[in-house]
Amino acid sequence: MKTKLNNKPSWAHKVGFSLLLAASVIATPLVSNAVYAADTKLPRLSNGHPDFSGIWQTTSAADFDLEPHSNRKDAPPSAGIVEGGVIPYLPSALEQKKKNFENRATDDPALKGYTLGVPRGVYYPEPFQIFQRARDLNIVQQFGHSVRTIHTNNTEHPEDANDWWLGDSRAKWEGDTLVVDAIDFNDKTWLDHAGNFHSDALHITERWKFLDPNTIEYKATLEDPKVFSKPWNISVILHRHREKNFQLIEDYRYTLDYDQYYPPKPDKK
Amino acid sequence: MLNVSSDLLKHPLLRVLAVSGLLATSVSASAHHAFSAEFDASKPVEVKGVVTKFELVNPHSWLYVDVTNADGTVTNWGFEYGAPFNLKEKGITKKTLAAGTEIKINGYKAKNGQNFGYAVSSTLADGRTVQTGGAQDAPAAPAEKAAK
Repeated sequence: MKTKLNNKPSWAHKVGFSLLLAASVIATPLVSNAVYAADTKLPRLSNGHPDFSGIWQTTSAADFDLEPHSNRKDAPPSAGIVEGGVIPYLPSALEQKKKNFENRATDDPALKGYTLGVPRGVYYPEPFQIFQRARDLNIVQQFGHSVRTIHTNNTEHPEDANDWWLGDSRAKWEGDTLVVDAIDFNDKTWLDHAGNFHSDALHITERWKFLDPNTIEYKATLEDPKVFSKPWNISVILHRHREKNFQLIEDYRYTLDYDQYYPPKPDKK
Repeated sequence: MLNVSSDLLKHPLLRVLAVSGLLATSVSASAHHAFSAEFDASKPVEVKGVVTKFELVNPHSWLYVDVTNADGTVTNWGFEYGAPFNLKEKGITKKTLAAGTEIKINGYKAKNGQNFGYAVSSTLADGRTVQTGGAQDAPAAPAEKAAK
């Protein structure tokens, strides 16, 4: 593979790194998951910025429905995580959302094993692990074992981008808050199980901030002129997994239907 | 060139290992699923139309094209396209196939009888003809076969 050392990682570099990282996670699943007493100082990289490395998960019911909702057969009740309580859909998009909701038992991309997308991977009820260094953060999802890279090396979004499942994320630090700008998504992921959705024009601004060494406050502003009438905000709390020997276990569901064929059994057709 | 069967690629662990190996040996992966799983090699199709949407998505891109029929009606066709990295190597990016771009596609229809197909090759507005299908068991373009 040609390796060009410039500031803009090519598509191949990104995917290559992601795959190698995923492979290394499988090979050595247990990476140090340090636990901190609540009153200790924030963990930091050698460059002084907060270090979010660790395994995280929300306890919220956000993935069942971002908006406030009472209990349903397939969801616990929740006050929702949308600021103001209502997602500002354009009229035609609201119709699509209602259709999605009615057909959620079959149409939710997560049920098909698809990559969760952003920000759904953050509040989906399965853990994810952050590997962080000065130049980037890499988020490994247990579900679907996808890897999202957030670049913190002062690079810009690519000029002629693909429609990525996880978009393209470039971040900067505002004090101890990581501010991420994410664009270049495709329109094949949902925002939750209730059929809330977005188009390929989705633009997300995330803010990641420690509340204490074991707790992250995650906020995001979602803009999408094809689907929403104005930007809207969500907020969830992420907790560090502190169980002894906790680790991600591969949850790749897309291929479950093929498991009966593997490993191949040449003698027993 | 290192060949990895598409069946083998269906297993997630094998796929990660296989693709890692491919990257290490400078060869890009091409196939995700078999051509014959979704498309019919006995039903060639050739369309000329205008791009309405180009999804440059892994593992296969999709290109949607408005085709004007003989009776003047317009049908929107969806074609399975190559993987983004393969297309990029051939000079096809999002900008190449922006909405409104004229294109001619040679390929095969989907087995489900709907307006979907597999794009073996595409002739772009600048006259270039590019291989755009990625499946290893896909037949050559109908026009190419006829010429042989």
